[in-house]
Amino acid sequence: MLRPLTLGPLMLCLCLATPAMADFPETLRQHILPGYAAFAVATADLAQAAQQDCDAVALRPAFQAAFDAWIGVQHLRFGPVEVDGRGLAIQFWPDPKGAGAKAQRGLLLDDAAALTPDHMAEQSVAARGLSGLERLLYPADPLPADPCALIRATAADLAQTAQTVNDAWLVGYAETLLTAGESGNTTYLTRPEARQALFTQVITALEFLQDQRLGRPLGTFDAPHPERAEARASGRSLVNIRLSLHSLRAMVATLSPDVPKTMAAFDHAIALAEALDDPVLAGVATAQGRLRVEILQQAVTALRDTALAELGPELDVGIGFNAADGD
Amino acid sequence: MIARRSFLAGLAAASLPRVAWAEVGSPACLAAGKWGDDFVLHGLSAAGESLFRIALPARGHAAAAHPVEALAVAFARRPGTFALVIDCQSGAVRHRLTPPEGRQFNGHGVFVVGGAVLLTSEVVAEGSAGRIGVWETAGFRRIGEWDSGGIGPHDLKRLPDGRVVIANGGIQTDPADRSKLNLPDMRPNLTLLSDSGQMLDQVELPADLRQNSIRHLAVLGDTIAFAMQWEGDPALPVPQLGLWTPGSPPRLCPPEETDAMAMQGYAGSIAVSPAGDMIGLTSAPAGVLMLFDAKGTPLATHRRTDISGIATLSGGLVATDGQGGIWSVGTKGLTLLTQAETLWDNHLIALT
Repeated sequence: MLRPLTLGPLMLCLCLATPAMADFPETLRQHILPGYAAFAVATADLAQAAQQDCDAVALRPAFQAAFDAWIGVQHLRFGPVEVDGRGLAIQFWPDPKGAGAKAQRGLLLDDAAALTPDHMAEQSVAARGLSGLERLLYPADPLPADPCALIRATAADLAQTAQTVNDAWLVGYAETLLTAGESGNTTYLTRPEARQALFTQVITALEFLQDQRLGRPLGTFDAPHPERAEARASGRSLVNIRLSLHSLRAMVATLSPDVPKTMAAFDHAIALAEALDDPVLAGVATAQGRLRVEILQQAVTALRDTALAELGPELDVGIGFNAADGD
Repeated sequence: MIARRSFLAGLAAASLPRVAWAEVGSPACLAAGKWGDDFVLHGLSAAGESLFRIALPARGHAAAAHPVEALAVAFARRPGTFALVIDCQSGAVRHRLTPPEGRQFNGHGVFVVGGAVLLTSEVVAEGSAGRIGVWETAGFRRIGEWDSGGIGPHDLKRLPDGRVVIANGGIQTDPADRSKLNLPDMRPNLTLLSDSGQMLDQVELPADLRQNSIRHLAVLGDTIAFAMQWEGDPALPVPQLGLWTPGSPPRLCPPEETDAMAMQGYAGSIAVSPAGDMIGLTSAPAGVLMLFDAKGTPLATHRRTDISGIATLSGGLVATDGQGGIWSVGTKGLTLLTQAETLWDNHLIALT
């Protein structure tokens, strides 16, 4: 499989043209494009490894590396990843009704010869991507059929999706973001709209951390749900939280050089996450363990509030006039 | 009830036009918004040009436009303690409507009987039982109230034959801070009332969708398109659109699987295209506008940050956003009509 295009001429010219500073073009150049390029490479490596040897245990390191790379960009939910449900096709979580496992079971029992990448691309998004691969590489129960063909097809489809997203950024959406406010740009009518789009990604991602990655396993005191933690089978629940905090911190640093309170709040949350010794958040079911996860959740909430209060005004944007207002 | 009907009809004759819409530029729609630090109401042409702008004393929720006179009723944000009848020529507040003791306006109103009567969605403050306030419009005096048929009514619309459909959102709210009190047990419904307030029909959603609050309505011939806001687990894909032809059960219209989460469980405004071939729904939190055909089949998903208002104008569907943009809506995409300094609020009200 060909390695996807990474640092193309566009990137090079962007790098030379802009002096060191912080604003959304820097976020694009230093955070978004390298992140998607790395994700495309990691998923291509995973697909290639699966092609060579579909042994589940042997594939796990490449799977973990691809998931790491995804968390580097998972918080970016605008642009090419929104098209055709690509974000869901890369990772379908949360999945409270187990739609992924149901859809995948049918594929697993299907004729292996039918599992081409094109065929996979037409399947339910719930069955595809990292969540689909995790169920095949870390099965809780013995699988009902040999998963080799489905592992290969799922990995190839994931790599294809990652490459499509990366290409769409490189050949179109990077330009759309960079030309915000210029005549003919109907996506971002002004430069502040581009800043607001990125600011919204940060705030929404912190809310996802708080409500989903931490909130779902926490449940309530009387009804904790450790089984709802993200990527529990592959042991990544806490890794995803840590990597996500690091990625978001790096993104904010490219957006503004002068948000000391936000950075301090990131550092506090990251320190708590690094110190937590609970890889799949199983501790939420115990009083002591729960307290530690709640303290991290509170730090993420405080971080979000700080970013809203400091980063928003610094960028001169807020969350939307209507979006902030339930109706 | 014959007596009530002839009473309402009698009001129609008594109410003579004062200032007609033509005298303020014949706007196609009304849109509230924020202009600098001020809250304003604009009259807009079908091309999105502002024809007039008048000051509002506070941010409103939705407005109702009189069908003939240049009058708009702006409802206070909830808890709705007042509504203002605004003269769209002078900007003067003609009347200040106050619900009776223990009642609160709940965001929407609609003129009926050719503009002679204004109906307002209201709740009994304690318990959120729904009421429809009935006001004559010569002097804007309250002349009665009807049972809305449910908890927490929000939008209401007149059908072409005079019947009135109500979205009872099902949510009981705290009268002081609007916190939601009954989410595990909520049961939204659609209620059809006669033109004199008698209940004619009512439908609920299937049990697993009872946390999908029915909030906004659009009329498509004899069918009612309704938009919902999900109060359950945000990770569950649920439909935001439903269609109800009274006499048959409501039909739910989910998006394509790839767009199942695109609206983030939230539809804020809904409108039907003039030809009746498209239904548009917006989600400001998601920055998404979805189009469906008249049968509820998904047609397109468009992205625009903070898009919220949508209305049926003569040329087609038009949508507004919180950055000042006014967009013509088509299956292929959004086309910018104008961009104003006013940040458009969540509803766009067509004059019909």
